[in-house]
Amino acid sequence: MALRTVNSSQSAYACFCFTPLFFQQYIPDPDIQNGCEAVKCKLNMKCVLPLFRCASWRERRVDRCEISINIPNSRVIFQFHCRHGITKTYNLGYQECEALQAVFPAHLCPNVLMAQSKLLGDIVVHFPVSQEEVTLSMSSFKVTFKTFCEEENNCIKGMNTELMLYPDEFDYFQVGEDSAVTFCLKELRGLLSFAESYSLPVSSQFGVAGQPISFTVKDMALEAHVVLSTLTDPNHESPSRPAPGDDCPVNIPKTSTAEISTCEGPMETEVCVADGEQVASSQGSEVFNPALHMRKMIQLHAPGEIPSLVPESALTTPVTPATFKIRSLLFGAVYSDGGNDKTVDLPSLACASDTEEDGGTEEDLGNNPLSSTLAVRFRLVFDLSLQMTSFEVRSSKAEEPRNRCGLQVPARNRKLKQPSILPAGNSRQSSD
Amino acid sequence: MNVGAGVEEGQKVEAQMRRCGDNVTRDEACGGASDTLKLWRIRVVNTVSRLTKACVLRLTCDHLYFVLSGRVATGGVSMWCELSQVNFFDEFQLEGVSADANEIFLEVAPENLSRALKTAQNAKSVKIKLTKKNCPCLTLAAELPSLSSVSRVVTHDIPVDVIPRRLWHDFREPQMPDFDVSIYLPPLKTMKSVVDRMKNLSNYLVLEANLNGEMNLKIETELVSVTTHFKELGNPPWGDDGSQSSSPTHRDPDLMAEARVDIKKLQQFLTGQQVNPSRAMCNIVHRRILHLIFLHEDVSLQYFIPAVM
Repeated sequence: MALRTVNSSQSAYACFCFTPLFFQQYIPDPDIQNGCEAVKCKLNMKCVLPLFRCASWRERRVDRCEISINIPNSRVIFQFHCRHGITKTYNLGYQECEALQAVFPAHLCPNVLMAQSKLLGDIVVHFPVSQEEVTLSMSSFKVTFKTFCEEENNCIKGMNTELMLYPDEFDYFQVGEDSAVTFCLKELRGLLSFAESYSLPVSSQFGVAGQPISFTVKDMALEAHVVLSTLTDPNHESPSRPAPGDDCPVNIPKTSTAEISTCEGPMETEVCVADGEQVASSQGSEVFNPALHMRKMIQLHAPGEIPSLVPESALTTPVTPATFKIRSLLFGAVYSDGGNDKTVDLPSLACASDTEEDGGTEEDLGNNPLSSTLAVRFRLVFDLSLQMTSFEVRSSKAEEPRNRCGLQVPARNRKLKQPSILPAGNSRQSSD
Repeated sequence: MNVGAGVEEGQKVEAQMRRCGDNVTRDEACGGASDTLKLWRIRVVNTVSRLTKACVLRLTCDHLYFVLSGRVATGGVSMWCELSQVNFFDEFQLEGVSADANEIFLEVAPENLSRALKTAQNAKSVKIKLTKKNCPCLTLAAELPSLSSVSRVVTHDIPVDVIPRRLWHDFREPQMPDFDVSIYLPPLKTMKSVVDRMKNLSNYLVLEANLNGEMNLKIETELVSVTTHFKELGNPPWGDDGSQSSSPTHRDPDLMAEARVDIKKLQQFLTGQQVNPSRAMCNIVHRRILHLIFLHEDVSLQYFIPAVM
């Protein structure tokens, strides 16, 4: 089961993947093993969080929590089995969506740090909770964390803190390139406290300013990633490479070339190189527009939307000190080669299939060049969109098995590649 | 003018804080006390930071003062907190504005200072310096214990404003007012809980006391009036101290002196106290001012709340 989210400015991405080991019992749908396609859906965070929020109540009263998906009604069901025979069931409506995954080649990053979570906790405690950005500088001799001030004036008002550590404090220290990256500390704190509660080491990969920084926590049962964008260095200009493709190497599946609409031709040419290196021909490209590219990749909007190609070559120009832009991450679609369905690193809970992943219709392809390559895995993708919620308290568990395994007849029908009209408002509205 | 380390007016402060816990060769009392004092120093700063967002830090060769002068903006409250530097610093160097005025006045946000000191709590050593980065700063550099052979160094730059000499008169030590009654306060916790509850009922509180060791806290509104009585509190023997006239006025011991104050200000003061001071007393100038004095070891904190009609 994977939980993913991205913030509204798309400059921070988090992904928590839980293997079956994490769960007491994990029942994937039999259809999955048959190569069935995955469902990805998004839930409103505001609806899910309160279910898990009250820790003391949870620990005292709740014996078990079951999560299942009911495809026909497009509900994710959270069921808490509590003491005294009480069962609390929450049916949260979900919205189907595209897969969301930041493609970030961590193995290509020149700088790597690994530290115990306690060390990182000790580091961030020096910075006020309200502090947004910090700069992490790394050289062969030392690592520095510093408060980041945007402008001179701000420095006068606020306190500046700088913390210097030596390489031998880290479990693993690799510096490929001296760099100073500035990222939002606030967004990282959640992962750090998570790591501290699990006592897991945290590893971090990053490059130069402008390239995203990723933080990873790994365990047998789970794997968590947070990828944050970093500020580009306003002083750093690369006149020979106007297209800032080097901000974030992107792995885009090769299969995506075919359906690209013409206006994006040059851009796609660039990105369809497997290991994300910049292609010489695209360097002169004036149409490369990172923001545009990103929006297409993420496709969190209605699928039919093609952002208009604004000649914002301003984005490719060096950033002046007075204004800076946080480079958003480039999200790539999760691609599936043929055998990927079998190599389940992210096992799924329940089955259902959605039409667009089936190969989709022509109009799908036209509007969503990358949809044909989207993953066919089961994911639960949490997103900040408004959804309906309904609460239901039941005392019986009669309906569980059916819901959990998705053995509903309509699901089977879809598997047979019948038209995708799902009952009652489940339609993905792919014609949008 | 002395030429100092990079500050425009040529003033310089460098202080090294006393280490905690490694005073083996020192006198037992010192070794133990420095720990307490260090904590207390943090608490003093914490207390001050709860009382006000910005205050003036006055540094002299022997003392540190946190001063808040009564202004309309703060509702007329003023504060004077005095610490002796010897108890906190191993080394202390100060170069003031000039030889005859060897002092420095800085306007600082005590919260910043409090935060910086908090992170340096377990430090092996702490150094404070007046520096000039983009603006004058108090730079606090702490050496922290670390996993490796070399310590971690954390540096905090706290922006300050250097106050020019011509404004120093605003921050003079307040005169002890010619009070009518002086009385020891009841246990702070009790007083605080009473004031907290009264705050829900009224905006103003009357504090009255007499020389018989009795104190009342009163609130009165249209709907309700509440009085809390404290007895046998004791009265400090001022006698020769302060500005009290040398021959003690014969005041009827049962006569109450009162001051009606904004309850929020009193509550703010009581909330800020984290340590039970060894002495807590209150001087009342009838219907004029409430003067609260807290003494703990050699830190003194005075707080003046004007009375309202």
